[in-house]
Amino acid sequence: MKSPIIAMCLAALLTAPAFAEGEVVEINPPAEGTVTVEEGLQAWARIYEVTSHPRCSNCHVGASNRPMWSGPSYGKTRPHGMNINAGDSRIGAEFVPCATCHALRETGGNDMPHAAPQVAMDWQLAPVEAEWFGKSAAEICAQLSDTERNGGRSFLEIADHLDHDLILHWAWSPGGDREPAPYSLQEHVNDVLSWGVAGMPCPSE
Amino acid sequence: MKLTVNGEPHDVSVPDDMPLLWVLRDELKITGVKYGCGIAQCGACTVHIDGQAVRSCQVAISDVQGEITTIEGLRTPDSLHVVQEAWIEKQVAQCGYCQSGQIMQAAALLDVNPAPSDAQIDAVMSGNLCRCGTYPRIRDAIKSASAKLEG
Repeated sequence: MKSPIIAMCLAALLTAPAFAEGEVVEINPPAEGTVTVEEGLQAWARIYEVTSHPRCSNCHVGASNRPMWSGPSYGKTRPHGMNINAGDSRIGAEFVPCATCHALRETGGNDMPHAAPQVAMDWQLAPVEAEWFGKSAAEICAQLSDTERNGGRSFLEIADHLDHDLILHWAWSPGGDREPAPYSLQEHVNDVLSWGVAGMPCPSE
Repeated sequence: MKLTVNGEPHDVSVPDDMPLLWVLRDELKITGVKYGCGIAQCGACTVHIDGQAVRSCQVAISDVQGEITTIEGLRTPDSLHVVQEAWIEKQVAQCGYCQSGQIMQAAALLDVNPAPSDAQIDAVMSGNLCRCGTYPRIRDAIKSASAKLEG
């Protein structure tokens, strides 16, 4: 019989997040016509819980180019410490590059509380058009469903983007005492697909 | 594991996740780079990788790609970097512990922006803490180095 310690180590290995390749996500949209507008709006309400969560919105900031620190592990809501300004480049090239601290790490992690989270890609802000911090459900819905402001993506391409961006995967396994984004990445992708099949309905406010 | 520091090749046998700072100080005995906080909150461990400032406590050795420069390799004692000259001219250091990180960050700033404004200096240097409070002299020295670069 294996010792309890070995069993615990094996369990830890089996449950460790696969940062390097990212979590495997299935993109299986519901059949056309099977999701009502009401169900689409319910899916959107869950999507909004994700997009307004600090793990996502802290880096979905507007033209200030200043990431935010907010949420349970940060105490008072305030701009990122150290006077950080990611510049118009959104990667800090004009000032201190995000990668000065959020270095590329092939295995992901860097889970110590208050350390700089890292993934196997360059850390960066979301594009300025995708300003979510402090925005309402109607405002974020309007942006995400507008191809002029969502990177020219259909709902299927939004779901695909969630599959391929490792910073987004990090939001569900942030480590360091940080609260993960709600639901799971797969549930969020499923909600995006349901919302899309329902015609990307948006709340009126 | 192979790495190049200050132009010299090295081969170290260390765990993949050992921070670069540990490798520099404990394995290679390059001690100009300092340990402050270990979590990228203070900037004392700043070095360059291919000219870009990085917090060496945050980079796993297996993820290092590029040539590393520490304060020892920025220039030589006989031919100081313009930032080092300015640091002496303005007598910036008090206790000195954070200063190699400050100088490496300032050198990276002037490499990208040879004539920074006060606001730009603050935006770049605010991640490098100095408990002696030498900030006014740090800014003054960067201005002096900038003036020399601009001729």
